[in-house]
Amino acid sequence: MPLPPLPCSLHLQSHTFIITHLPCEQQPKPPKATTSHCSAFIPAPLLSSFSLTFVSILSSSAYSSPFDALYASKKESCNSNDNNGVSITMAMDDSNPPDIDEDLHSRQLAVYGRDTMRRLFASNVLISGMQGLGVEIAKNLVLAGVKSVTLHDEGTVELWDLSSNFVFSQSDVGKNRALACVQELQELNNAVLVSTLTTKLTKEQLSDFQAVVFTDITLEKAIEFNDYCHSHQPPIAFIKAEVRGLFGSVFCDFGPEFTVIDVDGEEPHTGIIASISNDNPSLVSCVDDERLEFQDGDLVVFSEVHGMTELNDGHPRKIKNARSYTFTLEEDTTNYGVYQKGGIVTQVKQPKVLNFKPLKEALSDPGDFLLSDFSKFDRSPFLHLAFQALDKFLCEVGRYPVAGIEEDAQKLISIASRMNDDLTAGRLEDINPKLLRCFAFGARAVLNPMAAMFGGIVGQEVVKACSGKFCPLFQFFYFDSVESLPSEQLDPNDFAPLNSRYDAQISVFGCKLQKKLEDAKVLVVGSGALGCEFLKNLALMGVSCGGQGKLTITDDDVIEKSNLSRQFLFRDWNIGQAKSTVAAASAASINPQLCIEALQNRVGPETENVFDDTFWENLTVVINALDNVNARLYVDQRCLYFQKPLLESGTLGAKCNTQMIIPHLSENYGASRDPPEKQAPMCTVHSFPHNIDHCLTWARSEFEGLLEKIPTEVNAYLSNPGEYTSSMRKAGDAQARDTLERVLECLGRERCETFQDCVTWARLKFEDYFANRVKQLIYTFPEDAATSTGAPFWSAPKRFPHPLQFLSSDPSNLHFIMAASILRAEIFGIPVPDWAKHPRKLAKAVDEFVVPEFHPKTDAKIVTDEKATSLSSSSIDDAAVIDELVAKLRQCLGMMPPNFRMKPIQFEKDDDTNYHMDLIAALANMRARNYGIPEVEKLKAKFIAGRIIPAIATSTAMATGLVCLELYKVLDGIHKVEDYRNTFANLALPLFSMAEPVPPKVFKHRDMSWTVWDRWVLKGNPTLRELVQWLKDKGLNAYSISCGSCLLFNSMFPRHRERMDKKVVDLAREVAKLEIPPYRRHLDVVVACEDDEDNDIDIPLVPNTANSVQRGRSKFFPRAAFNLLRFDKVRKKDICGEILVVLMLKQLGVLKGAIISLPLHLTSVYGVQHSHFPFSAPRLRTIAATLQISLSPDLTSIYDIQYSYLPFSTPHLRTIAAATQISLSLVDWLLQRSSL
Amino acid sequence: MSSPSKRREMDLMKLMMSDYKVEMINDGMQEFYVEFHGPSGSPYNGGVWRIRVELPDAYPYKSPSIGFVNKIYHPNVDEMSGSVCLDVINQTWSPMFDLVNVFEVFLPQLLLYPNPSDPLNGEAAALMMRDRATYEQRVKEYCERYAKPEHIGATPEAKSSDEELSEEEYASSDEGMAGEADP
Repeated sequence: MPLPPLPCSLHLQSHTFIITHLPCEQQPKPPKATTSHCSAFIPAPLLSSFSLTFVSILSSSAYSSPFDALYASKKESCNSNDNNGVSITMAMDDSNPPDIDEDLHSRQLAVYGRDTMRRLFASNVLISGMQGLGVEIAKNLVLAGVKSVTLHDEGTVELWDLSSNFVFSQSDVGKNRALACVQELQELNNAVLVSTLTTKLTKEQLSDFQAVVFTDITLEKAIEFNDYCHSHQPPIAFIKAEVRGLFGSVFCDFGPEFTVIDVDGEEPHTGIIASISNDNPSLVSCVDDERLEFQDGDLVVFSEVHGMTELNDGHPRKIKNARSYTFTLEEDTTNYGVYQKGGIVTQVKQPKVLNFKPLKEALSDPGDFLLSDFSKFDRSPFLHLAFQALDKFLCEVGRYPVAGIEEDAQKLISIASRMNDDLTAGRLEDINPKLLRCFAFGARAVLNPMAAMFGGIVGQEVVKACSGKFCPLFQFFYFDSVESLPSEQLDPNDFAPLNSRYDAQISVFGCKLQKKLEDAKVLVVGSGALGCEFLKNLALMGVSCGGQGKLTITDDDVIEKSNLSRQFLFRDWNIGQAKSTVAAASAASINPQLCIEALQNRVGPETENVFDDTFWENLTVVINALDNVNARLYVDQRCLYFQKPLLESGTLGAKCNTQMIIPHLSENYGASRDPPEKQAPMCTVHSFPHNIDHCLTWARSEFEGLLEKIPTEVNAYLSNPGEYTSSMRKAGDAQARDTLERVLECLGRERCETFQDCVTWARLKFEDYFANRVKQLIYTFPEDAATSTGAPFWSAPKRFPHPLQFLSSDPSNLHFIMAASILRAEIFGIPVPDWAKHPRKLAKAVDEFVVPEFHPKTDAKIVTDEKATSLSSSSIDDAAVIDELVAKLRQCLGMMPPNFRMKPIQFEKDDDTNYHMDLIAALANMRARNYGIPEVEKLKAKFIAGRIIPAIATSTAMATGLVCLELYKVLDGIHKVEDYRNTFANLALPLFSMAEPVPPKVFKHRDMSWTVWDRWVLKGNPTLRELVQWLKDKGLNAYSISCGSCLLFNSMFPRHRERMDKKVVDLAREVAKLEIPPYRRHLDVVVACEDDEDNDIDIPLVPNTANSVQRGRSKFFPRAAFNLLRFDKVRKKDICGEILVVLMLKQLGVLKGAIISLPLHLTSVYGVQHSHFPFSAPRLRTIAATLQISLSPDLTSIYDIQYSYLPFSTPHLRTIAAATQISLSLVDWLLQRSSL
Repeated sequence: MSSPSKRREMDLMKLMMSDYKVEMINDGMQEFYVEFHGPSGSPYNGGVWRIRVELPDAYPYKSPSIGFVNKIYHPNVDEMSGSVCLDVINQTWSPMFDLVNVFEVFLPQLLLYPNPSDPLNGEAAALMMRDRATYEQRVKEYCERYAKPEHIGATPEAKSSDEELSEEEYASSDEGMAGEADP
């Protein structure tokens, strides 16, 4: 191996550079400013190495800041070690890779799982080129937690780089780029070794790494390095990525034979078997409980099959004809045993081997490009050529084309044209000079949104390369966002640099748009993972960084440890602080010009005094960075109301999506909605669980009942026994009785005074839950019980339970006792002795107690839920029992210590030491054991029961990059709807699909037409009668008027006719109890009406910017009164519409004939969970379901769809966004097809 | 698809137009009571129940929650809470269904054809499976005891549907505003 050049001289060079630029360093970033700051901000593990450094600072006045000194000292260590030019910045313990920090990485673990994370922790990654893209990739990988990240760059920071690199400040100009990045990247995660390389790379150095990424490299050099990596043993994953203005490219080569362990990251699908035929091929039917998600060609294994036991051999079998509830096996089962009952079928995920081509070969034979936008079907081959032409330009001219210089553009065009002519295969018909010109002008600029987007993509590819998790990008991906350019033609002078940090961005968009960005008034709702990324992007773009601009960010949450793996503006010393404040401070340090205000308010109806009408009216744009649908719907409402653009995005694991809500151009967010997540039926959860989710749901509800609800009831009773019992008497129903029984149990029979009592209680609970209740249930429904029709009661999906026998030697039994008794002690305020946490001592304590034997009650009710059965005989009147209970409670009260209160416990999933998850996991697993359901480890239980939303930095970064590309369009202000893009992406597959937003629905009545964004203005504070008449004059008959969810008027109610002469505002106050606060200028009233032919009509918002200020008598309405009327209604018309669809579909014969089976990536679109997702698969499913129901006469099977039957063609499924409207557009499409 | 709040009003209107007695709470459209009569041809015939209907924020995307206020003996109704474990309502709900479907089809079906295989009231289910006659006897006893017009606070003469519950009893207007989620 040739010796690398000595790093020493280069370092010295960079060092002298710093000194000569000393005057520039007037504005160091806040945390870096002084030594005292450092000691406050540097995480503890780093302090030791720093203290050494500080000594040298004090003695050496040559260094302007401790960090320069740090680099200097690093240089010295370099000299002495001569480690291939790699200089280690921080003293890290790199001896043994630590095990996964589950608190820090819980959200990421939920995406990757432990194995992937361990492989990541063992991976060394090189990132070469530390401009905007390089630093984004590095950030994502440091957050993800690889073993080491080595930053390579030979160049120095230029002002130009500040447009896209969030760690550079003006004072870094002139420093080596890698060195200027290392400190801040290291701070993101102490467990990752971040180091730098500042000398020219040799290919031999690449052998130190599992994956190498080049963001700024010539094609020639790339081919040389790639050849080395491709033929290296083992192969080194090679990624070349570039962002040039609004164009980007990625190339991946993970070696000649790369094995993907998990192609999509989805859980293996399962099904519960109902029958299997003795046939060839054999037909397998599953219960109609849940739709099967298998696909033709999947491998499955069988277990628990009774009768046809031959299938239980664990051998994977291939399936065909996958349908909603059935599939066939290519196997002759004629001579197998006859199927009796039971059986579970589970998908076996198969690894996949990919044969990557090296760059040299792939360039001339690129294969299929990964598409992102179906409206740009032929764009990828074009960009493939354009990027090669740019490389040639760079080699020939020695620099990038300059924005606005026509000769440069023409030169690039002629290079491209020549290269195209030389092509033998795959020659382009048109080289699109106009687009090439755009490409040339932006070529030198790295834009932050592009860097963020590609940083996410490339970061994910590196994770794939290191772990084999998810399917890699194979092999080229090209993307452009030329629609982001200002829609009006720009003068070449507009692109000229202003010697500002935004020069790169100005070179693409011009200075006029830059000004608009700087003056924008933006609201960012939420400061979590999305919020942090947005703040960084906005700061770099210069949004709200000018005189008139203002950025408001609001979040009511505080920073927790589990946030740190994605929310990169936070450090561990910020834990417990307000998210928005810390994020705002960090963003301001990225760009000191940023004018930002951080609020801690949740955006919702209760904060409309903070976010009042004036606030909303002043906004330019709203960016959602939320994690729940309800808040999104609320913000959507407000944006609709105030006619503000809303940029919406969300992520779920490796998936992300974005939706642009543009006034008058697009539909609003709430216009289409996902169906709610299905919940398990009550009866299943109570008595007949058949999967671990059911057990966990039950465990959660038991936890809440035992530790939160009942103690709270007890306290309510103790605080005011008289009032509490009288309210219970008044209710007088079964529920009141049940509650009283539980309160009595807590204070009487089961009251705990010592820890031993708690252990006894836990032991009895175990017996009750896992033995007695089961015994009772199987007594009532014996294994051979039959229903009225003679069918076996215990048929699939029901599983026959078996009672457990408690064994203190069984760790999981004992674990239940430990968690239950410790939490029981907590609610009674009993101190927990040390022995409680020692298994052996605890076991001894449990065994001392003898559990009474249980006898099932004959003809008593089955314990279908948690209710106690002591007094229950349903024929006794509840009222009488309640009286009895109250009397008993009074006796207990006398025996209680004065002021005794219980301490209710609220479930907290993220504290591993509080025993909450321990109890829930133990409850769920013991119940699972009852029913023969596979048990789960605590971490998995936490994901399910804690409803932990899987989240990773990569998809988040990508979503925000995509949104910011749209922000250019929004702030330019004159783009058409065709220019905007909504995106759905799944980095795991990978899949990118973009489509135009759906325009709002247009309503027509007489000669008027309107959408949800339009409004009619009505002045004054009319009476109900006047309002009705006003509508009547427009040919609209109001039959129902409501305010919020309160009915003000309904023509069906004779009583409401008395209200006709009241003023609407007064009515709202009287009936809806609605007071309009002074900061409100509007009152929402919803009117449902019909036209004269009784057709229902949707009519627009009618804001009434009332002059009624004077007329409104009430002092409650000083400024405004009755402002906004909303007329909503589609009744028969809607129904007619649906019928119409049915008819047309039938006419067209779009039935099960047209089978289009969807490729893998589209079907996993369906796997998206909606709850966290603004725009997801279930929504698509709803539409599909609507179609299916149109096809199927069986209304009950509404959700029963099989995607392979759907009459969508692939392009029609291109985004979820498009799909939400597909029921309408599909009809057009079908009509077109039928006319062909 | 029409917007959620529109659907609320429409569905409620349809229900009232189909001659169901609807008791509104404080003129709210979020929750209300509906009077429901046991279908003829079932042992529940002659019984009358007050059904509490709650329309969730996500209605009609999410199913209404349905509960019997006065007691009923039925394998699929929880005796304690009156909650219904009815597949169509809880599981198979679709935005295409409306409230009239619930009262005209789903609930009568539930009372005509209980499904003891998925019991919420296990005792009733077991009894129904083992001894149909005693089960029906028990159903009738319950009807007699808990499901007469006086048990639902109704006068024998049909009340007009506009008699809401007292508005004072359920004063909570901010809830009304919070529920507003409609394009």
